[in-house]
Amino acid sequence: MGDVRLMKGNEVIAEAAIRCGCDGYFGYPITPQSEIMETLMIRKPEDETGMVVLQAESEVAAINMVYGGASCGKKVMTSSSSPGISLKAEGITYLAGAELPALIVNIVRGGPGLGTIQPAQSDYFQAVKGGGHGDYKLIVLAPASVQEMNDFVDLGFELSFKYLNPAMILSDGVIGQMMEKVELSDYKPRWTDEEIEKISGSWATNGKKAGGERNISTSLDLDSAKQEVFNHKLQAKYRAMEENDVRFEKIACDDADYLFVAYGSSARICQKSVELAREKGIKVGLLRPITLFPYPTKQIQEMLGQVKGILSVEMSAGQMVEDVRLAVEGKVPVEHFGRYGGIIPTPEEVVEALEEKILGK
Amino acid sequence: MTKVLDIPKVNAKNMTEKEFFYGHKACAGCGGSIAVRLALKVLGERTYSALPAGCMSAVGFIYPQMAFNSNAIITTFPGSASMAAGIAAGAKALGQKDFKTVVFAGDGGTADIGFQALSGMIDRNDDVLYICYDNEAYMNTGIQKSGLTPYGTKTTTTPAGQNIPGTITHKKNLFEIIAAHDIAYAATASIGYPQDFINKVNKAKHVKGATFIHVYASCPTGWGTPTETSVEIAKDAVDAGLIFLAEYEDGEYKLNRNPKEFKSVEEYLKKQGRFKHMSDADIQCVIENRDKKWERMRKNWL
Repeated sequence: MGDVRLMKGNEVIAEAAIRCGCDGYFGYPITPQSEIMETLMIRKPEDETGMVVLQAESEVAAINMVYGGASCGKKVMTSSSSPGISLKAEGITYLAGAELPALIVNIVRGGPGLGTIQPAQSDYFQAVKGGGHGDYKLIVLAPASVQEMNDFVDLGFELSFKYLNPAMILSDGVIGQMMEKVELSDYKPRWTDEEIEKISGSWATNGKKAGGERNISTSLDLDSAKQEVFNHKLQAKYRAMEENDVRFEKIACDDADYLFVAYGSSARICQKSVELAREKGIKVGLLRPITLFPYPTKQIQEMLGQVKGILSVEMSAGQMVEDVRLAVEGKVPVEHFGRYGGIIPTPEEVVEALEEKILGK
Repeated sequence: MTKVLDIPKVNAKNMTEKEFFYGHKACAGCGGSIAVRLALKVLGERTYSALPAGCMSAVGFIYPQMAFNSNAIITTFPGSASMAAGIAAGAKALGQKDFKTVVFAGDGGTADIGFQALSGMIDRNDDVLYICYDNEAYMNTGIQKSGLTPYGTKTTTTPAGQNIPGTITHKKNLFEIIAAHDIAYAATASIGYPQDFINKVNKAKHVKGATFIHVYASCPTGWGTPTETSVEIAKDAVDAGLIFLAEYEDGEYKLNRNPKEFKSVEEYLKKQGRFKHMSDADIQCVIENRDKKWERMRKNWL
């Protein structure tokens, strides 16, 4: 066992950023994620690894600092919560359009509007279907534990640099504020200038090399024909993500007659619901999407010969259920159960919903 | 520009008994809530209040126990001045004449994220009074530094240690930045000098067009001070010369208080948990900055 501690999810994001060799964090206060920047300010990683931590004057400023850092080939990130992510939307789509790697953490709270500071999963559409304008996708990772808050920072950067595309950790106030045992990652040094040149030299705008071509970081193309070619390139990249980087977890699925599909904190609740339902003799399993984009569509389809009905459980009014229905194509009943506005469902409520909405059919 | 003449005086004796900000959930000794309460009493019943995310919206809009007895609405964080401009335009379009639109925004909501909208509002000379209650950090989200947090303050994003005395920048010079727009009327105030604040709100009420008041509002929770000393500390800040009371009107600056001698800066700082760690050198830095500022103000504004 390495460095095992009892920590809050938000604190772990900060610690994982330092340890994975992140070059810069840019943030702005908003509940329930302020501990991320606060932890970084107290840790002062500039002394330790050289990582820069800056408090911006707004969420817009923070994402644009990320845009600047990312264009230089640096590992940079920001974090916020729902209303703040809406403010970052322009910067996020520019990052996607300029094909730049970056990590954005959303510790979701209930909405819409100023909403509540309690946890919710109502930003699924925003994270997975766009949020900003234009045909773009984010790589979206949904941690269901404090351990995954640690693991997905490094993974987020890895996928982000693999595809030259911004990645998002879509968590919520439950995982962000909850304390759990976590095994922290080992320290990885920050990339040296030589390493950045090797990894990102073909696109990073960090100075024209003698005799080399200049790199341009832009998402602007006024020539429609060229813009369409670029859009094709982006789409091919998104298909490659779907081909190679879908992540999911299956729990008690082998003999399941019914299926819960749930991510993040809802998946943790559903784990208990699986046990409770099975005590009642209902053979239900859980499929937990870990990547929300790319989505485990095929993995849901593979269950269709086996299960008689699917309940999508989310802390929203029903967002991910649309992707479950797209995967299922009407072959078995798919229903949604959700609590929202900051209310967290109980495992018992989920079982009741399964009985009423799926078994009752 | 409207000339301010013969405005009926408002004071503790003739001020309305009616409460327009009442039953809120603010911390004991909250200076921001004192500023909002007094301002609304001066502005009266026909007032539209616009508040971004911040302490006063968090403690004032807890449904169903709404603390505002006149019209009030929560705005987006960067958009309070714009929304107030829209309210003023909307009410005007409805043919309303006897109303005032006011913004109550914190220091972060004003000097940081809300600044662009505020600048636009003043530039268009929208008929809005913008009041910034300055408790010198993002208090509602847990005491993070803002552009108006003074040098040496310990906050959760500017922790104090052996090498760094907490916040290492001085307060933005918000009043003069606002005045530089050549605004019709701008003022600084402190809840420690309530009559002065009341007079300034009253003056702004009668000015047609964009007006601005920067009011210093203590925060026991974020400052680490006893709740019963809020007004006293807000007065001390002025008496120690760290906060100045001034106005900008018709293109001229006016210094409302020009003390012959300042009260002890050290005493003011040492009363507060947020400054307790400061070294003598840090305190000296605060004093030097104060003196430089006063030298300039006395030279140019008197």
